[in-house]
Amino acid sequence: MAEGSARGRPGLRSGRTRTAATPAAAQTSSNAENNSNSRRRRSSLVKRRWNMLPDPDDDTPRVVLKRVIHTPQNCLVDSQSTSGIRTTIMTSDVEIVLNNTELFVQPQLHEQSQNKLSTPDLQLLDSKSSAQRSKNSDAAEERTRPEVSGVGTSEGRTQRHSDNPSLDSEHGDRTTHVSPETPANQQEDQQDLSQQSNPMEQVSVHEEEEVVGSEYCGLGLGLKQVLLEVTEWLRMSLREVVSHIIEDLEISDAEEEMINALNGVELEELNGEELEIDRGVGAKSLDRHSDPLSSPEKSGINPLEEADEEDVLEDQAIMLELDDPEQEPAEDETEHSVSQVKNFKSEVRQCRLDLEETVMSSSQQRRGNCHWFSRMTESPLQLLQPKPVPKRSRTYQRKPCEPQVARSLIKEIFSHFVKMPVTRDAFTIVEKCSQRYFKQLSSDLEAYSNHAGRKTVEMADLELLMRRQGLVTDKMPLRVLIERYLPLEYRKLLIPLAVSGNKVTP
Amino acid sequence: MKRTAPRTTLRKIIKNHKPQLRLAANADLLVHLNFLLFLHRLAEEARTNAFENKCKVIKPEHAVSAAKVILKKSRG
Repeated sequence: MAEGSARGRPGLRSGRTRTAATPAAAQTSSNAENNSNSRRRRSSLVKRRWNMLPDPDDDTPRVVLKRVIHTPQNCLVDSQSTSGIRTTIMTSDVEIVLNNTELFVQPQLHEQSQNKLSTPDLQLLDSKSSAQRSKNSDAAEERTRPEVSGVGTSEGRTQRHSDNPSLDSEHGDRTTHVSPETPANQQEDQQDLSQQSNPMEQVSVHEEEEVVGSEYCGLGLGLKQVLLEVTEWLRMSLREVVSHIIEDLEISDAEEEMINALNGVELEELNGEELEIDRGVGAKSLDRHSDPLSSPEKSGINPLEEADEEDVLEDQAIMLELDDPEQEPAEDETEHSVSQVKNFKSEVRQCRLDLEETVMSSSQQRRGNCHWFSRMTESPLQLLQPKPVPKRSRTYQRKPCEPQVARSLIKEIFSHFVKMPVTRDAFTIVEKCSQRYFKQLSSDLEAYSNHAGRKTVEMADLELLMRRQGLVTDKMPLRVLIERYLPLEYRKLLIPLAVSGNKVTP
Repeated sequence: MKRTAPRTTLRKIIKNHKPQLRLAANADLLVHLNFLLFLHRLAEEARTNAFENKCKVIKPEHAVSAAKVILKKSRG
């Protein structure tokens, strides 16, 4: 069947792409069915999954995707015993993905996820999916809800289809089990989640909380895998798919680390600009993975991804910006530094963005979630590389204040001279004025000393300055000013043998 | 009662603006003198402005207008 073929194909596709409007509709319908016939489908899907007949280049992928989506759920259910949560997550992810109409990624993800026992990915997927869920449209909501909830357990899955609150509870359960999730599931979840409504986000939030870091690793990894799978699945034959899957499996380990790093960085950055970068990276990643693949697929996928990413990223960017306005330059640097990482980064970022979106969309938890997310990603990343803490206390970032003349001194001197009450605002103006005055003074003194060929400011320079200012004239020598304004000890220093105003010829 | 001149602070300020510039031994005292005279002129100008407005209190606008004039005058 197409399902089998779809399953066989590596489900490459980032959850973000919603290109398949029609397939999405079909999937949504199928998803609706899933709710009721989840079990039936699961079994059927499971069968198909095992068959793993990849369909090369035909429209069935979408359909297959649909099936695949279900299968992951089924697979999850079946594999629960084996992989425990992972399967459940996968299935839930599958469902979610299906709803989101993220075609290719899901089937592949499942397979890969199942193959790989990378719990972190799965967790990430869940977290991402949860984020994605929030982003999903209304139609997706219905689908996603049941799907999302189901991830936790087989029971949860069935419950998923039920109300969101049930999902939330299930998600909590899921999160507990999430640890052994596979990356594919995570990715799928991401995709589904992104499309799902906010309630899913909450659920996902719970999940994410539990899953910490590891999820992110898996999520980013899963996302990447999804992308790979989608692209690959489109074009590759069974052998190719298998080979790619193997590749992904091998790469996933390495990527996880990178992704983790990326995740940690990306979480913080989440900016609109990042989104753009992600898009570019996503395209690059596609290129990278699709080396064997034909370019057309890549281009086809890239625009799709970009479109999805844009939607997702834009929304996320807006929300993320509010929450995590952080070091883009740092991120850029890291990206460039690690070519491979870049590929994953875009994916991870999107997943993260989706996740964060979902998190953010949730009411007040947004801020906390974002922080929590960043923290989650940080934990695994910290193991790999030292990551700067995103949020620093205000005191730590206290900027060095430049030296200023004491405010009280200025007040005292000014009040003494003006002999009138002065408002507080007028004092601030006087302070600013004095600062500007010192700036002028230093530049003038520098000019004078340079003119004299010296590098040190001497008394002559200062006298010249005062003369130019009109303070010192022929009728008013400098000495008189010194004696008039400066206290005795200073007078003694400046004027040799000056004694309490008495003019003493030296 | 007048306080002592903030000699170190003045040196730091000038150093901030012109790191390569050095100051002679007691040059900062003359800088302080310069600063005093500047404040003196500023106060006189502000007082004049307040009198023109028939105010008994120095208001920010008086200070602003006074600052504009005096800063221009104080350019070397």
